[in-house]
Amino acid sequence: MRETVLKDIFRAVLGTSAAVLLYSLAGSAGPSVLVVLNAFSVVVVTFSVRRGEVFGAFLGTACGLAQDAFSLSVFGLAGLTKTLLGFFTGYVARRIDISPFPRAGAFLLVVSTLELGAWMLLSAVVRQEPVNLHGGLILLQPPVTALLGVALIAAERRILARRRET
Amino acid sequence: MPLWDKRQNILLLTALVVFHLILISLQIPRGQDKSLFEKSVFFVFSPVQRAAVGAVRGVRSFWLDYFDLRGVRAENRKLKEDHFFLQQENRFLQDRLGLFRSEARIRESLERFRDGLIPARVIGIDSSNPFRSLVLDKGSLDGVKKNMAVCDKFGNLVGRTIDPVSLREAMVQLITDKESSVSVISGTDRLVGSITGLSGSVCELRYVLASTTGGAVGEDLQTTGHDRIYPAGLRVGRIASIQKDPSLPLFRKILVQPHFRFNTLDAVAVLPQVQGGDK
Repeated sequence: MRETVLKDIFRAVLGTSAAVLLYSLAGSAGPSVLVVLNAFSVVVVTFSVRRGEVFGAFLGTACGLAQDAFSLSVFGLAGLTKTLLGFFTGYVARRIDISPFPRAGAFLLVVSTLELGAWMLLSAVVRQEPVNLHGGLILLQPPVTALLGVALIAAERRILARRRET
Repeated sequence: MPLWDKRQNILLLTALVVFHLILISLQIPRGQDKSLFEKSVFFVFSPVQRAAVGAVRGVRSFWLDYFDLRGVRAENRKLKEDHFFLQQENRFLQDRLGLFRSEARIRESLERFRDGLIPARVIGIDSSNPFRSLVLDKGSLDGVKKNMAVCDKFGNLVGRTIDPVSLREAMVQLITDKESSVSVISGTDRLVGSITGLSGSVCELRYVLASTTGGAVGEDLQTTGHDRIYPAGLRVGRIASIQKDPSLPLFRKILVQPHFRFNTLDAVAVLPQVQGGDK
């Protein structure tokens, strides 16, 4: 058990580095891209679907804290919401069939919408002010997360299938 | 441990949630320095960000410097022309300055300013709200400290350095952040107030009494230096609108459009601490 947890933590740090990489690349494209594309959420949902709830929770913690460290918002807010995102994505993905891509897309859309909602609610409560919606642009974040998540899951499945064939 | 075996996953989730709640509650009320833990996370992951941006810039510059050379000649001609006019303008300004101060003193202060200037590149934008902070590729090893003013390549004020400042990276609080405050004065009517961000693309000029006369849309605002962080005379923004504020009838509601633009924020200058500031 201890070894598994340590391995999960190590993999979560690797996953977080991948998220920071994706976030940095998105940031080079412009500030509005960062509003629409939350690289940390994309990485959390993609890995949690395959690796389950415990890994999802650890990865969510690491990615959320990294997101908070690169921001002036309250440290731990994104950490908390992404921990819940990772856990519930992993938990539900093991109990329902999300093999068909439309179903996987709908599932990721629901969980990422819930995560964004939780983050906005917590931000408003903790900072006691409404969240900046960037003219509604932030509402595109869940569909973009779902779309990229499904694309990454599809790519991973294809790679794994090819490996099995060879 | 039967409970652990049965409810292992839920217990782990509960532990992580409690950990985050403690982390959040430690920061309330806000306004305290960043915790060691938060600084450590920044220290660990900021080199990854630096490497990613460096790789992208490397590929882009390789392409632009060796393959895509279209328009370079025209650009060179335009730069030569600009250089000529800037030299003339510089000469003219130096002459005008010379009327007020001796040449030796001007040269000395220019040299001091140039030596202390730290050129830096932007490697990251705030992950939660782009109008709040930036990450630079220069840190304490390059001479960057907390509370140093940061300007874009046109000399417009962008913000100030804040914690965490790591060895090779530093965070900058933008003037558009709602927790930022800059003491400013308007160019024509000498309106004095404090610019605070709204965590969006515009800022607000606060503490200008409703009874104050003057101030017009389009008027430029500059730093006063009274806050002892930003040197006096830096260009900050332009008045975008002046209205009455029904919720605060004592003051005028003045919105300001900052001069800096995100698309020109690839290179910035960290200014030396001329006036001190809290360290």
